[in-house]
Amino acid sequence: MEKKQLFLFLLGLLVFAQVFGQRDSVIVLDEVILNDTKLLHFSKGTKVRVVNDSVQQKSGASLTDLLRYNSNIYFKENGYGMVSSASFRGTNAQQTAVVWNGININSQLTGQTDFNTLIPGNYEDVVVRSGGGSVQYGSGAVGGTILLNDSFTFNDGWKNSLLTSYGSFNTSKLAFNTSLGKEKTSFQIGINHIASDNDYKYLGTNRRNENGAYEHFNLNANVGFILSETQILKVYHNTFSGDRDFSGTLTAPADENYRDINHRSLLELSSFNDRKIARLKIGHLYERYRYFPNKQRDEFSFGQANTFLANYDYKYQLNKINFNGIIDVSSIMAKGTSIEKAKRNFVSGTFLFSHDLSDKLNYGINFRKEVVSDYNSPFLFSLNSGYKASKNYTININASKNHRIPTFNDLYWTGAGAGGNLDVLPETSWQVDLGQEIEIADFDFSLNAYSITTDNLIQWRPNNQGVWMAMNVQDVSQYGLEVGFDWKKKWGNQNLVWESEYSFTKSIDNTTDYQLLYVPEHILRSNLAYQYKKLVAYYQFIYNGSVFTTTDNSDSLPGYVLGNMGLDYHWPDISGIKLVLGIKVSNLFNKNYQNVAYRPMPNRNFQLQLIAKF
Amino acid sequence: MKIRNVILSVFIISLSWSCSSDDDDVKIQEPLGDYENGILVSNEGPFSNGTGTVSFISEDLSVVNNEIFKMTNEEDLGNIVQSIGFTEDEAFIVANVSNKINVVNRYTFEKIASITEGLNNPRYFTTANGKGYVTNWGDTADETDDFVAIIDLQNYTVEGTISVVLGPEAILAKDNTVYVAHQGAWGQNNKVSVINTTSNEVIKTLTVGDVPNSMQLDASGNVWVLASGKPAYTEDETAGVLSKINTGTNEVDTNFEFETAQHPGDLNLDGSILYYNLGGKVYTQNLSSSTLDLDVALEEASFYSMAVYNGRLYGTDAKDYASNGTLTVYDLSTKLAIETMTVGIIPGGIYFN
Repeated sequence: MEKKQLFLFLLGLLVFAQVFGQRDSVIVLDEVILNDTKLLHFSKGTKVRVVNDSVQQKSGASLTDLLRYNSNIYFKENGYGMVSSASFRGTNAQQTAVVWNGININSQLTGQTDFNTLIPGNYEDVVVRSGGGSVQYGSGAVGGTILLNDSFTFNDGWKNSLLTSYGSFNTSKLAFNTSLGKEKTSFQIGINHIASDNDYKYLGTNRRNENGAYEHFNLNANVGFILSETQILKVYHNTFSGDRDFSGTLTAPADENYRDINHRSLLELSSFNDRKIARLKIGHLYERYRYFPNKQRDEFSFGQANTFLANYDYKYQLNKINFNGIIDVSSIMAKGTSIEKAKRNFVSGTFLFSHDLSDKLNYGINFRKEVVSDYNSPFLFSLNSGYKASKNYTININASKNHRIPTFNDLYWTGAGAGGNLDVLPETSWQVDLGQEIEIADFDFSLNAYSITTDNLIQWRPNNQGVWMAMNVQDVSQYGLEVGFDWKKKWGNQNLVWESEYSFTKSIDNTTDYQLLYVPEHILRSNLAYQYKKLVAYYQFIYNGSVFTTTDNSDSLPGYVLGNMGLDYHWPDISGIKLVLGIKVSNLFNKNYQNVAYRPMPNRNFQLQLIAKF
Repeated sequence: MKIRNVILSVFIISLSWSCSSDDDDVKIQEPLGDYENGILVSNEGPFSNGTGTVSFISEDLSVVNNEIFKMTNEEDLGNIVQSIGFTEDEAFIVANVSNKINVVNRYTFEKIASITEGLNNPRYFTTANGKGYVTNWGDTADETDDFVAIIDLQNYTVEGTISVVLGPEAILAKDNTVYVAHQGAWGQNNKVSVINTTSNEVIKTLTVGDVPNSMQLDASGNVWVLASGKPAYTEDETAGVLSKINTGTNEVDTNFEFETAQHPGDLNLDGSILYYNLGGKVYTQNLSSSTLDLDVALEEASFYSMAVYNGRLYGTDAKDYASNGTLTVYDLSTKLAIETMTVGIIPGGIYFN
């Protein structure tokens, strides 16, 4: 058992979608308790990677840190720990959906997720699903979708985990997780507190990141009850509270502060038998930010949104065929300094179908239509198929039409020199994706090629009167190639895991043929972990190619190579307590780099970490 | 492109030198620097991060040098280069978000000093009575802390401040008097402050149209103020107004009112004709007219900023605000474009050196 845990502690234990395909071994109860059905049955033919909790624990403080080294997403960070937005397969910040336990949690105000406000570590897994997924996951699932899944364990006793860590820039982290799994009830609470002065050096200058301190608090709490042999009730909750000073740039000092709070609550009642699963979900999402342009003063601007949602999901299995019908109803209210009370009502119907023609061949057809009070939403679909051509070789193909809807800011903004535009249309996007995977012994190769075309890209530009507003200004295309290589090897008391991925990304404006802003053509990353008895050493490497910082490609940021290194020691058990002591050096080569122009990232830094499990 | 321009400019300079050395009898004035006799364009630069730049275009429009401050001094100007103000020999380049003014020799662009203390949201510079005057919004959340900074032109420091009403923007000097138009920062205002530079006090606050955005001084000593009126989003839309201030009495002499939905801007003066931009066209106004002429000087002219000088109109296009903009030069007699040149990101100011 301990061996297995040690092994899990290694980096990059990648589980591909096909694993979920082994339907027979998964009993319905497990499906109801554990899995996101849309991922389990209706994402075949799609590239899916799972980042497990042990990797989450050693990958820094935020979802940005985790995914930077465990996916091919490029993150634009306004300085370390500041606002962080994703570019997935060359798409923009609003074209990546973040889904919490099946619910799309991208901001209703901005349409994007700040990846520095999501704290991994307490989730059972973080899943990176590449490519279009608007049918399954709604607006913004264009470049890809990040799924955060909580788990419920029954019959598992009482388990605790305490993580403390301290390091450079006065960065401290405290995380406590406790779970209790009885026969009929499951209970889990995870709390994280992360704080840092974050006053790193701006390499090559005599200045520091003076206004970059942050403090985050995060709570995950989940309760599950098995009501009867055919019914389960689950309650999920997540609260995040962040308080950040916003870093300045190399040319301008800053005195800003930003406080945001998110509450997410979900109640799910499932009723099931051998063939069907019916779920009723009722949820509430709350987001609020307060922005202080000068933190010495009391004035702030704010925005907030409340989402009430209900969702009925009925899945039926007939031999090798799965049907799933979903009806979503939601009502969203937003207000703020620059948004007068605005309301949106939303109904959507989704139909998902998947069929295993044989053990080797499956396909799926999926549709979605939304009716929304304040804009016309396009009809969405996806088609997918997977074929296991031989014992070692699998081919996946999918095609989909996806969308990104106008946000509350896009439609309802009011203020000096800027205004919402009620005529703005949703972005629509078509894509195809072809994946191949070869598994031979300890090796695993994967190759994905994709092409995306997006019409009516929404951007803010000044109109004839010089008033800035959201407009459908551009058509853009992305195409690219992703090559993955993993190797796992075990000899006696040694273990090696090596996983690497290279991605080539073209993301172009169809009118000018220029590469879009902040999309690197080349990313290469590689993680190597080696275990000898109770010692684990790991190395994280990333090469980020050059990115353009102007739309006419007249200016760019240079590419860079980063390396991180760490060592973990698994202490012998002390009266049932397992201890893991770790040290990690980030930016080993002390590289001066930026992923947003004029916003330097940290110099070499150290972090000491102790995990106790009991 | 840039290297080509540098080579070209070096070539032209050496050509002019070689010409002058051949001609021993005539005393030809030494060139004051590479950037004498031409057009300077201040480019604001990207909004949230980065630096503004200054472009130089030779008088014959054959040479374009971008980023001349960085090329000369190997450093950045700062975030959002709002404007440039001039003394006889120096240029004062105002970086708004960086709260910084870089002082350079206006012909060589070699840096003399940078002013970083005592500014808060600086906007525009002018000089009068041996001092520099810079409008400052102060903290935008505070409507009562706006000021004009007084610059000591010997040691380039802020030696004092003059408190003014909300949103000081354009600034102009007539002898020892300074006129400040109060556009209103993020809000709206409708005042012009009159400052006596001997006492450094506001001696009068005049009311003009809403949101005064630009001013010109004519040869007879009148200050012309163009106000755009309040925009529609304020839900209190007002008409633009062109006001003529008599600097002898410091009274508003005449107001020329536009229609309510007309919001003019960018007032310029060339000879005895005022030029301004309105709804994507350039109009003229004769200084002696008693009503609004509304004569069209140029159609299809949606400029980010414009300047008129010696019968030519210079208009900029900021494109998508995230790429290099352009400057187009028009001959106002033929109304035709002569040349379009690529400058920097968001070209906001045009000056003649």
